[in-house]
Amino acid sequence: MRTARLLVVGWVLQLKTMMRSAFNGALSVVWPLFFATTAFFMYRAGRDEHTLLYASLGASVMGIWSATSTSASSVLQRERRHGTLELLAGEPTNFAFVLLPISIAMSTVGLYSMVATLLWGRLVFGIDMHLVHPLLFVLAIPVTIASVGALGFLLSVACARYRSAWALGNSLEYPVWLICGFLVPLALLPSWVGPISWLLAPTFGVRAIREAALGGAPLDDLLACASLGIAYFAVGILLAETVLRMARKTAALQLS
Amino acid sequence: MAVIEALDLRRTYKTSTGTFRRRSLEVEAVRGVTLGVEEGKLFGLLGPNGAGKTTTIKMLITLLIPTAGTASVLGYDVVKDAREVRKRIGYVFGGDRGLYDRLSGQDNLRYFAELYAVPPREQRARIAELLELVGLAGREKERVEGYSRGMRQRLHIARGLLHDPPVVFLDEPTIGVDPVGARELRTMIAQLVAAGKTVLLTTHYMFEADQLCDRIAVISEGTIVAEGTPAELKANVSDGRVVEIEVFGVDDPTVERLRRIEGVRSVGVEQREQAQLLVAQTDGRELTHALLAQLDGAQVGRVSAREPSLEDAYVALVRES
Amino acid sequence: MTYPARVFFLGGLLSYRALFNWLTPWILVPTFLVAPIFQILLFAYIGRSANLESDEFYVIGNALQYTSLPCLFAMANMLGDERWSQTLGILLSSPASRLALFLGRSLPVILNGALVGAFGFVAGSLILDVHVPASAFAPLALVIVVTAVSCTGLGLVNGAIGLRVRESAVSSNIVFGLLLVLCGVNVPLDELPSWMETIGRALPLTHGIEAARELADGARLADVGGLIATEAAIGLVWAVVGCTLLRFLEVEARRRATLESS
Repeated sequence: MRTARLLVVGWVLQLKTMMRSAFNGALSVVWPLFFATTAFFMYRAGRDEHTLLYASLGASVMGIWSATSTSASSVLQRERRHGTLELLAGEPTNFAFVLLPISIAMSTVGLYSMVATLLWGRLVFGIDMHLVHPLLFVLAIPVTIASVGALGFLLSVACARYRSAWALGNSLEYPVWLICGFLVPLALLPSWVGPISWLLAPTFGVRAIREAALGGAPLDDLLACASLGIAYFAVGILLAETVLRMARKTAALQLS
Repeated sequence: MAVIEALDLRRTYKTSTGTFRRRSLEVEAVRGVTLGVEEGKLFGLLGPNGAGKTTTIKMLITLLIPTAGTASVLGYDVVKDAREVRKRIGYVFGGDRGLYDRLSGQDNLRYFAELYAVPPREQRARIAELLELVGLAGREKERVEGYSRGMRQRLHIARGLLHDPPVVFLDEPTIGVDPVGARELRTMIAQLVAAGKTVLLTTHYMFEADQLCDRIAVISEGTIVAEGTPAELKANVSDGRVVEIEVFGVDDPTVERLRRIEGVRSVGVEQREQAQLLVAQTDGRELTHALLAQLDGAQVGRVSAREPSLEDAYVALVRES
Repeated sequence: MTYPARVFFLGGLLSYRALFNWLTPWILVPTFLVAPIFQILLFAYIGRSANLESDEFYVIGNALQYTSLPCLFAMANMLGDERWSQTLGILLSSPASRLALFLGRSLPVILNGALVGAFGFVAGSLILDVHVPASAFAPLALVIVVTAVSCTGLGLVNGAIGLRVRESAVSSNIVFGLLLVLCGVNVPLDELPSWMETIGRALPLTHGIEAARELADGARLADVGGLIATEAAIGLVWAVVGCTLLRFLEVEARRRATLESS
């Protein structure tokens, strides 16, 4: 119970912090739009109505991943600069339960981008959206956000010791867009990519959102997405305590 | 039983230099610190910058693992029972950081209250009480980015006390705060002890240590060079005298000769714009003439002799090490 | 050495150090080597999915477009660093020729951009099995360098904006995105609305990419000379705009005393 409260309070307050930076907020919406726009133009030139909608739904999730990957890897670095890392690591709660709300808040910020991309597609490119399973669509969104957040959490723990981890997180933006089938059907990619994509929650999140909109069986994908999210968190917890201990040995928790 | 105990704590850092051929250096920041703090006392760890104060305190609050030695807080080992230690301590450090700028003071406290496992029912009352205690009541809804340094410090203290810890560690709490604000902070710190908490304070301000602390340990270059009550430390030098001589242009050989005069314990040179101030600590004998004789030829300004202060004791201790 | 020339070379050396001091392999590899490859792959596959252009089209387009990344960011960072370390005021109030100053500082940036572009092109071609006639290698290298130069010119403008706006990372990202959409990188210019095409033709990259694609298809250097010259000219215009903007900001900052504030 206390854990649940910690997660919620942490999420709300971290979200508040993030949403108060106007510039970064605007960029997080605009950045994926450049790529979505390019993809829309490309698909439109190919003149396939159905593909355009497929791309629009996938593109809308791009922002959720971007908002997470670019920031999650440097969570610890940012808290270190803020001077709050020592405090977070020094209090009795399990470090993992402190980090998780931060990365889920990041993914939540991606919601702005999702809405913006869908609207952009509708207004500028005339991409209409009719939802076959509206309830499941609405459910798929927070499940995807939470699982992507969990992946971000795993990322932030794995990058704990590296000062320039932000560069690593940044460079994961494109690969996930490609491998998880956001803009390109997985069938087109080499067959060995498939298994890798099944380890990534965004793959199933995007699939669930698409199937909820276009028709299909989104529930299975939702379950897969959620399970992966839980798995990420479990691995992250194990990693977090180890990382903390190592940090205390090598004094990496200090500022700068 | 001592509430805070440290036995021969040591901490070595590895750093690397150079770009192409990285050589690693080992820096021993703390070289065998032993200390004990009784319940309800205010203990001061006094030393210049780089002496190892912050490193020592971080070992005690479980943020760093000592390379050797042991320490315990309230009987719990800082390495093996880190979680138990953390539940019972508060940590406050000086400076601008450690708070979320874009959140309000109240939101910051709410966040940390949650992290410190303050029971939800008590959170609101506790936060209000602490805001009152540190004098921030009424300003809590403003964003921290608009707070002055002194206000941030006070919010830090409130944060450190959220879970009502019996032991509080303060790392240079008044650094960078204006004199009036600093005085208020010191009053607050004294009140904490009066309320029964055990406090360990690090500082490089002598008068602060003198004013607040029950016991002081002077740390320099990683070891404790003296320990005792402020009165005891002063007593170490109270049988001596301090002669201050203002000179215009004195060279090192002359200073060396001054040092070798019988009865002179130390000679320090302070630059004061055009002149230098020679501060000679003597063992009580009347040595003013002997000192002035050595300065024959140099232009001499004011000469004064006085009783030694705690600052002199501190300077002597630090310089000797 | 004459004074402007010294300023040119010393400034270049200093900014090289400033630039590469913090560029550890941990930053360099993901940002300059891994990311451009994935951008190429992403759009090549979208191209396949949409049945649009050949892989070669996307390799060239994206490799050259990614050249702009170091040019934009490095320029903006450099100016930002000068302001942060409070040397900008010192620089601008020195009698040194502005041109020599900033040109010198641009050299490592251009080199960085060209190397990134070349790497992206080679790696992308290898991975996607794209074949380019050997005779085109040298001319392509020239196009890459010219493109890097013109992107750096745009980088000066971006850097000036970043100084004023104080969030240079945001403006650099936005310019990068605009270049992606408007310069015929992934979408042939004639597929874009005409107003976008007009803007695209006024930006760096557009002509360079066109020249590179023609070279890859077997054209000779002489055939694409006009395009290369246009690309260089556009870059020069942007550089002049950038310098003018900096001068204007300097004057304004002196009036409003904001040059050093961070």
